[in-house]
Amino acid sequence: MDETKTYPPFLVNQRIKANSLYYAGKMGSIFYVNLRDNETIVGVHCPKCNKNFWPPRLSCTKCFSELTETVEIGPYGTVETFTQVNYAEPVHPRKAPFVYGVIKLDGADGGITHFIDEVDIGEIAIGMRVKPVFAKDKKGIILDIKYFKPI
Amino acid sequence: MIKTTEEQISIPMVVNVPYEFAAGEYLTRGLSELRDNGKFYAVKCPKCQRVQLPPRIVCAVCHVKNDAWVELGQEGTLVGFTIMFIPMTDPTTGKPHEPPFAYGSVRLDGATSVLDHFLHVEPDMEKIWVGMRFKLVLRPKAERIGDLSDVMYFEPLPGQKRPGRTN
Amino acid sequence: MKRNVAIIGGGQTYHAARRHDVDQAEMVNEAVRRALDDAGLTIDEIDLVLLGNMEFFEGMHMTDCWLVHGTGAYGRPGLKITTGGTVGATIVCAGAHHVASGLFDRVLCIGFEKQEEGDTGAILSGVASPLWGRSMAGAAVGYFAMLATSYMAAWGAKEEHSAMVAVKARQNARKNKYAHLKIDLKMEDVMNSKMLAYPIKLHDMCPASNGACAVILADEKTAKKRCKKPVWIRAMDTAHNEQFELDWRDVKTKRPIFSKVSSSRIYKKLGVTKPSEYFDVFEVYEPATWSELLWYEDLGICGPGEGFKLIEKGMTNIDGPIPVNPSGGVLSTNCIGASAMLRVWEAALQIRGDAEEHQVPKDVRRALTTAYGGTNWTVITALSKSLDE
Repeated sequence: MDETKTYPPFLVNQRIKANSLYYAGKMGSIFYVNLRDNETIVGVHCPKCNKNFWPPRLSCTKCFSELTETVEIGPYGTVETFTQVNYAEPVHPRKAPFVYGVIKLDGADGGITHFIDEVDIGEIAIGMRVKPVFAKDKKGIILDIKYFKPI
Repeated sequence: MIKTTEEQISIPMVVNVPYEFAAGEYLTRGLSELRDNGKFYAVKCPKCQRVQLPPRIVCAVCHVKNDAWVELGQEGTLVGFTIMFIPMTDPTTGKPHEPPFAYGSVRLDGATSVLDHFLHVEPDMEKIWVGMRFKLVLRPKAERIGDLSDVMYFEPLPGQKRPGRTN
Repeated sequence: MKRNVAIIGGGQTYHAARRHDVDQAEMVNEAVRRALDDAGLTIDEIDLVLLGNMEFFEGMHMTDCWLVHGTGAYGRPGLKITTGGTVGATIVCAGAHHVASGLFDRVLCIGFEKQEEGDTGAILSGVASPLWGRSMAGAAVGYFAMLATSYMAAWGAKEEHSAMVAVKARQNARKNKYAHLKIDLKMEDVMNSKMLAYPIKLHDMCPASNGACAVILADEKTAKKRCKKPVWIRAMDTAHNEQFELDWRDVKTKRPIFSKVSSSRIYKKLGVTKPSEYFDVFEVYEPATWSELLWYEDLGICGPGEGFKLIEKGMTNIDGPIPVNPSGGVLSTNCIGASAMLRVWEAALQIRGDAEEHQVPKDVRRALTTAYGGTNWTVITALSKSLDE
């Protein structure tokens, strides 16, 4: 073998495609069924911390109590922060430009990340009041809420 | 009004990720030689004499730099095998290999490491044995990409008889 | 060990083919709550949470972050470890190191897998090197099949010997209320089951289970004060392998391979000369029946090539002189991220005398467990009833 021979860098292109199926579990199922069938947003109440969590869960993140009390939260909320995405990425759920925001739903401690639409980026402000717009065809997924829009 | 439910919600999603791996200095040479010249190159450790395939900068056992290149023969000895009854898909092409088929590990002459690949032999336990001699069959140059799949299969050398065994 | 470490409690889920009723956090939470209950601790007394699972088997990265409400890790120091199939034991090893170091006193170790959620076939292909072999990767079954043909050719063992291991495992599992495959398996059922890759048949391989296991490790002071039956971790050892050479697939190899290196090092640490006499029970990680025979040999329970004779004579049965896998082993329950931890926890249950129906009928004072990861590495753990033995 010619020891002095050089080679251009060798690059290998491959792809991994994985199909997943996530089970929402006890609390998650209650959330998605109510979203799909009643247009109701469900959170869970921790009596020890006196807080309502979204997403609803069986254990309190903070005090680890077992939680059973589901509560209705929202549907209105307040924009806590937001941004506009201007570049395209294959994984994006929408074509840029689009607006993401974190919305603190009335009655919940903690926010939900979702799209904000039917408003120009220049008109959105922290503290703005918004409400969800539901999809006609609901499937029991978070996009059963299409986006939030100003009230 | 919150409704309770017995339904067990599940949400399907697909994660589809492209990768680009750099082969590095040693494998660049190894895979380029396979693609362009149909040759298998390994490296030999100056300390323990292991002939390492795939070729790597350091001996995995001694951690000493390896820079002695060795061209391996295209024949080897079968050291382990099975007959697959379940289909196997090449993840890089998506094409399935229909069962039953023989699959095994061959140690090329001169190498310490082994290569796993299809064995081009009747999938019959009586017709395959550890110690059987095989040779590599490569794809034509135009089809090679510098990957182990450039080897189509291992072909048994002609005229071999299974050594006498009582069981 | 710089400081002594004990297992002061543990818990597991009822492992199953399907857990559609819970999400990942809820499933993990079941094991965590049982472990805390068993140890008599509250989550506030835990000072470190370690979580392990097989990377991306749930189709979700950073499970340590997303499952915080299930693991109780909020606000606490924590680490995530992924080492393939051996992770359950790696977590216990890491936990033990953290306690032994003096930096932490009560560590919650969690291993889990909710395999039904991910695409294990696609992800497993990612285990193979992309540059060398991914296109030719022949599933786990192919690997164990080659191991089996090598074993049969080298020592004259028969497919029946594999069936004996399969029967022992599932019959033991029937006595373990948490096990996944509790089936009244007979030799004919195994021999007639579907051939996957010669000679491995369906019942020779482990299932894909959904489940979690949690154990709580503590320092000596906490263990002696709070726990009635602490189980002491006396030594651990782990070893990696070289990926492109034969190890278990060449059963006569003289190379120092992961299983032999680890076991000889741990025996040296403990002064063990006859493991079958030193340890009262073994819990080994056997994804396929044949690997259990190799563990018998590589652990020195018998000599090379004698593993199949051991099972033939019933020596490793639950009521035999050298019980191996009274829990039913990985062959009966394989929630990958938890499997290796289950070996440690089941061995601890044996030492405590808490294994209920699958308790081995002898005085168990010392146990040895092994783990196994897909690229051939292991964590071997030695446990004892008291610090004096």
